[in-house]
Amino acid sequence: MTDNTPQFEEIDSVIIRFAGDSGDGMQLTGTQFTDASAAYGNDISTFPDFPAEIRAPAGTLAGVSGFQVNLSSQDIRTPGDAPQVLVAMNPAALAANLGDLEQGGIIIVNTDNFTKNNLKKAHYENNPLEDDSLRGFVVHQVPLTTLNRKALENIPGLSSKEVDRCQNFFALGVTFWIYDRPLETTRAWIQQKFGKNPAIAEANLRALEAGYYFGETTEAFQTRFRIRRARLKPGTYRKITGNEAAALGLVTAAQKAGKPLFFGGYPITPASDILHHLAGMKHFDVRTFQAEDEIAAMGSVIGAAFGGTLAVTATSGPGIALKSEAMNLGLVLELPMIIVNVQRGGPSTGMPTKVEQSDLLQVMFGRNGESPLPVIAPLSPGDCFDMAIEAARFAVRAMTPVVLLMDGYLANSAEPWSIPDPDTIAEIEITHPQVVEGETFLPYRRDVVTLGRPWAIPGTPGLEHRLGGLSKAPETGNVSYSPDHHWAMINDRKEKVERLQDIIPEQQVYGPKSGPMLVVTWGSTYGAARSAVEKAEAAGLKVAHTHLRYLNPFPANLENLLSRYKTILMPELNMGQLALLLRGTFGISNVVSFPKVQGRPFTIGEIYRKIHDLTARAN
Amino acid sequence: MTDIPIQNIPTYTRKDFASDQTVRWCPGCGDYAIIAGVQKTLPGLGIPKENIVFISGIGCSSRFPYYMNTYGIHSIHGRAPTLATGLKIARPELSVWVVTGDGDGLSIGGNHLLHACRRNIDLNILLFNNRIYGLTKGQYSPTSLPGTKTKSSPMGSIEPAFNPVAVALGAEATFIARTMDTLTRHLEATLKDAAEHKGTSFVEIFQNCVIFNNGTWEHVANKSTQDDNALFLEHGQPMIFGKDKDKGLRLNGLRLEVVQLGDGVTEADLLVHDETNDHLAYLLTQMDYPDYPVPFGVIYRVPKPPYEQQLMAQVQEARVKKPSADLRSLYQADYTWTIEAEAEPEVTIVDTAETMAISGLDEAYIDEMSEQLGELPPEMSSKIDPMADITQAPIAVLHQGRTPITVMPETSVAQAINMMHEAGIGALLVVDPSNHLDGIFTESDVLMKIAMKVTDLDNRTVSEFMTPNPDTLPAHISIAHALHLMSIHHYRHIPIVNENGTVSGIISFRDVVRYIETYFDRE
Repeated sequence: MTDNTPQFEEIDSVIIRFAGDSGDGMQLTGTQFTDASAAYGNDISTFPDFPAEIRAPAGTLAGVSGFQVNLSSQDIRTPGDAPQVLVAMNPAALAANLGDLEQGGIIIVNTDNFTKNNLKKAHYENNPLEDDSLRGFVVHQVPLTTLNRKALENIPGLSSKEVDRCQNFFALGVTFWIYDRPLETTRAWIQQKFGKNPAIAEANLRALEAGYYFGETTEAFQTRFRIRRARLKPGTYRKITGNEAAALGLVTAAQKAGKPLFFGGYPITPASDILHHLAGMKHFDVRTFQAEDEIAAMGSVIGAAFGGTLAVTATSGPGIALKSEAMNLGLVLELPMIIVNVQRGGPSTGMPTKVEQSDLLQVMFGRNGESPLPVIAPLSPGDCFDMAIEAARFAVRAMTPVVLLMDGYLANSAEPWSIPDPDTIAEIEITHPQVVEGETFLPYRRDVVTLGRPWAIPGTPGLEHRLGGLSKAPETGNVSYSPDHHWAMINDRKEKVERLQDIIPEQQVYGPKSGPMLVVTWGSTYGAARSAVEKAEAAGLKVAHTHLRYLNPFPANLENLLSRYKTILMPELNMGQLALLLRGTFGISNVVSFPKVQGRPFTIGEIYRKIHDLTARAN
Repeated sequence: MTDIPIQNIPTYTRKDFASDQTVRWCPGCGDYAIIAGVQKTLPGLGIPKENIVFISGIGCSSRFPYYMNTYGIHSIHGRAPTLATGLKIARPELSVWVVTGDGDGLSIGGNHLLHACRRNIDLNILLFNNRIYGLTKGQYSPTSLPGTKTKSSPMGSIEPAFNPVAVALGAEATFIARTMDTLTRHLEATLKDAAEHKGTSFVEIFQNCVIFNNGTWEHVANKSTQDDNALFLEHGQPMIFGKDKDKGLRLNGLRLEVVQLGDGVTEADLLVHDETNDHLAYLLTQMDYPDYPVPFGVIYRVPKPPYEQQLMAQVQEARVKKPSADLRSLYQADYTWTIEAEAEPEVTIVDTAETMAISGLDEAYIDEMSEQLGELPPEMSSKIDPMADITQAPIAVLHQGRTPITVMPETSVAQAINMMHEAGIGALLVVDPSNHLDGIFTESDVLMKIAMKVTDLDNRTVSEFMTPNPDTLPAHISIAHALHLMSIHHYRHIPIVNENGTVSGIISFRDVVRYIETYFDRE
């Protein structure tokens, strides 16, 4: 921070987007840039945006894969609204991303890929590098392919295809130089990943360094930037995505409960990474089962819960649709289990790789009969860890399936995570009943405080009992169609979910405790909303923010809290699902729903403008 | 976990396994005999009662667990194998039984039944086959014979029937047997065999539905015809049946035939049952009344490691490799950095063995990178499988950087031929002014339609000789697909068009050959 050589400009933040063909390794490039920046001490937030097709035709708009990273010296919560720097590996990447770029932003392009044919594939009639269309941007034209090929000459055993595959590391090297990132983390990563193939490792290293020194030797780049280090709270950090955090949280919960972790799942975007991560954690007695379909995955979870493990599945909306019948079985058997829904764009197959919050009503009500389930939603990638553990606590307390409602944005975005001390995480107390002499075992005799029923597991002598999906009598659990029995059980199951309120923390408000406007959010909308509220506050607007992590039941003080504001603004990545719940639950009519269903998260600016407009209209 | 030593297992009787619930099957239902058989068999298995679990789906048979004084779940329609699978993985020491029917197991739950068998998870699956839907009051089931008249098939079912034991064999079950509700002792012996087999045991139990399908198994259930219509299999014994033990089975070519003993045919000519022979098992599953006797007993039994045993072996292996499974090191299994008040961050890079998987796309990218060289020595690196690649690579890669040469329909034949000659290509795309494809004009058109036939090449247009509206492909189609089209239609060229129908390129057979050639360029 003492380096004041003239070529450096000290800045507080930058938003960079790397874009190229899905086969160009843009996700990797972005990840490496992020890792180096995190290690340098910046706060980071990332947003990968890739096509659903694994390999769309090269050079086409459909095949553009992007990775946005926001680096800052401040505490940041989103990957940023508009990128200030765009690294475009081909015309399609430029065409697909130019509209998002901030005016005056920097564009780095690989000119070698601006061929007639590629321009055509990107629907360019003229070469944008030659006509005047990029006026207003700072364009750096780099013949990346050529330079990279030159740099990698004389490495024996490399085909020209392999050489060209290292282009992304050349581009990475250039950006490392411009933003003064240390090369060490990427160097180490290359050695680890390609150590077995010395030629490939050498090629990537050389490409990285050649890119870096290209920046240094060429006069194309007049300014270098240095992003000041963030003032994060002291502690040991790592970078974490929501899917990683959820996997770590689930393993932690199982360890804290003294249980094996059973995970039954069927691959589905964007939830599959949870299965992948857990499959590599077998040394914690994690038993992963890749089922033949979503239904089977849910069924296996019920069986494993009956057997006494901490049982979990993870899926996305279409999977929840298939699992619904079995989720209801879990609900009436009253066994503890966790259902993770990493929401994606719907309906039907929808947009598997894009984000939405449109499954809230599905997980609340998408089952036959009266079937209340607890629903909780993390607010950031790191919060997926805490909420996974919370889901386990809820499940064993109320003896019920619990829905952990994540989304594709949380799942794939990364942020620095202050690594917790596992010893400070409370144990999850579980008791399995044993036979009591002279007493008949009653599988549905409820705990007077929690209304949870006893979790008697097979292998316990004397507690043999049968569970089933038919309506049953209280206490004995025997099949019963009696109107009174049915009514009693329906009410007990509702009540036990509501009693989770007893362990839900009081809902907090950021900003004034009463006033003209309260912004209410849930899930991944947190970051953009909180930043927008701070911005509004700085602009002198009277607005408060509250973020709900507990969606069923709601925190006990929520109704009172909502009643203290004139207007309640609810930005949601759906058509107003939580708004509907709040209106219906509390009978309030001052809710203004602010929907966005475009497969993309809210930007700070969008929410800020909405706050601003509503405030202006009120005045 | 309850690992009770053998000597401590109480001596059970049949009554110990009956629950206090009133059994509610129809009077005369075959299910009564089956539950009696199960309750008589369990005491002899040497398994503590609390370690036995019955899981069922939906249907008449699926009421079964309610009447058993063991652990049990009456689950949802067709899904019993999935619950049983989860339970067995969670608790490998339990004895887990699945009770299902022909509708539950082969219709709504068919998929799960197949995959349970395929995985060879250690379950005992009892499929009660009465060839009818009973609980929903008499519709035809997947095992009903064609022609069966029911409420939902008043003119007779037009569906072929599933053969449950053949389905199980196809799904690679390692124990397949058949028995019947009325065969009291045979039923018990078969259940015992099933329980003792490690892996998925599939038992089809012929069961009579007195209300909706009474007498469906009469040919084998009736004592007066049973001997002639049923074959009781025993491993290592010749296949003999009939009231007078005078009939047998012989192999004739690749088929089984029924022969009469005597007249030169002796026991020595008959097939001997070998329950480990999968080919024989298939022939046996195909035997049906009236052409053949119906086989009962163990049709197939082979040893194979059960799924849960292998899964737990992996867990064990992982624990041996990383004995200190502590959360702290798990959390730090990535590079970490420490923020101390106003100090430089300290970076630690840990062993990748511990780091998490990165996102799927990166993984694919890295795999592809590594694949290029893989474990092969560098000089062999070009030998990746071209066949695998052309099923993946889109045809777009063939014409990269090359614009197709197009002509208007009114272009003269002379000019077109000249253009082909100059560019050294075999085909021109004929397009309208908005770049939509009208046709293709190829060297074979020149050869077949023009050469020696047309003289006035300057005044004739390509539109007269071109192939109008040729087959086209979008750019994302795989090379293999294009090759296939070329092969079946004898195309040498295929135009590539965009979604809006405009021309974006053309690929030729030669392009494909050249592409494949690149795989061999360094040999």
